[in-house]
Amino acid sequence: MTQDGMDTSDVLTMDVMNQLAGLRPDTKIAGVRALRPDVVRHTQGSYDTLLTPKAPAGLTRSERAQVALRVAYLTASPALAAHYRQQLLELGVPADDIVAIEQEEQKTALDSRTAAILRHVDLVTHTPGHATQVDLRELQSDGLSSEEIVTLSQLIAFLNYQVRVLAVVSVLGDIPTSDKSDKEE
Amino acid sequence: MAHKLDFTLDPVEWRAWLNPIAIETANSEQIAVLEESTPTAKTSPYYLLLVQDVDVLRERSRLYNAIMYGPRGLPRADRELAAVAVSRVNGCVYCASVHIQRYIQLTKRPELMQRLVEEGVETELAPRERAIVDFAVKLTRQPGALTAEDVAPLRHIGLSDQEILDLTHVIAMFAWANRLMQTLGEPVQIVNQL
Repeated sequence: MTQDGMDTSDVLTMDVMNQLAGLRPDTKIAGVRALRPDVVRHTQGSYDTLLTPKAPAGLTRSERAQVALRVAYLTASPALAAHYRQQLLELGVPADDIVAIEQEEQKTALDSRTAAILRHVDLVTHTPGHATQVDLRELQSDGLSSEEIVTLSQLIAFLNYQVRVLAVVSVLGDIPTSDKSDKEE
Repeated sequence: MAHKLDFTLDPVEWRAWLNPIAIETANSEQIAVLEESTPTAKTSPYYLLLVQDVDVLRERSRLYNAIMYGPRGLPRADRELAAVAVSRVNGCVYCASVHIQRYIQLTKRPELMQRLVEEGVETELAPRERAIVDFAVKLTRQPGALTAEDVAPLRHIGLSDQEILDLTHVIAMFAWANRLMQTLGEPVQIVNQL
């Protein structure tokens, strides 16, 4: 968030995407990211408002981090999974509940609201085209309000954004970069 | 529920499965975010639904506009092409329709869009479009399996790292946009158009 009056350099230093990709702010690819300060700023702003809201309405911080870990697991992103596992530990979520999010056979350990949320995460992440109005009604009957369903949908969709940007930033950070000026062919 | 719409070059509408807010009940913060999101947001069921979480919509709209309309870098038409390719793979008829029209406005090339609609992302393409579409398909389907080999064809067609990141942001943004459009409502045919 930039509401605290952060300037661009602060935003880039505090950036979760660089952190996840293991990029120091002075590396070349971090510099290329910085050429789009609004993209960097509002990628971080989306993360802040969805994962670490100052006054979370609806979904709790733990529920949000559980959703995030589930998307990281479904999209096979070890760096993202480690980040959200750590967040869940810091939020005081019991280790058994964290394990259950990444292991199909232990999902029965989760309460019905959490299980319903995670089912929706799987649907929206893997087969969004199969979703119907019935899926939203089921979330409502498991106790989610319309506002919570909007936030949940934004959260799952954001994580699907985050994992894809991270994948490319990580690859670009690992391989020699190219410029228009030093093209080989 | 009505029979599912096919991909089309024509405009379609979108119907929400949850109740959007009535614009008369929006507070000043919500109005401000709607106004900066897109010119039609105050009459759009999609934005009137998302504005229920106003802090998230504010960030998301600013991000979307920076990614799709930011100056320099990857040409606008390539951004629209990537948006269409991702929407085609994910099956988002509404998003595809909107960005097909933008692509055609920018390039005057409806044939390419016609083929993407009819034959899908495997349709025959010129080398530049092929590289962009292949990258979009790979990152959409298997983000966890992306390697340097997937990026090489983009460098081969002359994209700089900034343009590769611009392209990445569009593909990732449509992983986001498609999922909202596909799981909070559905495309509907425009009726009584006059």
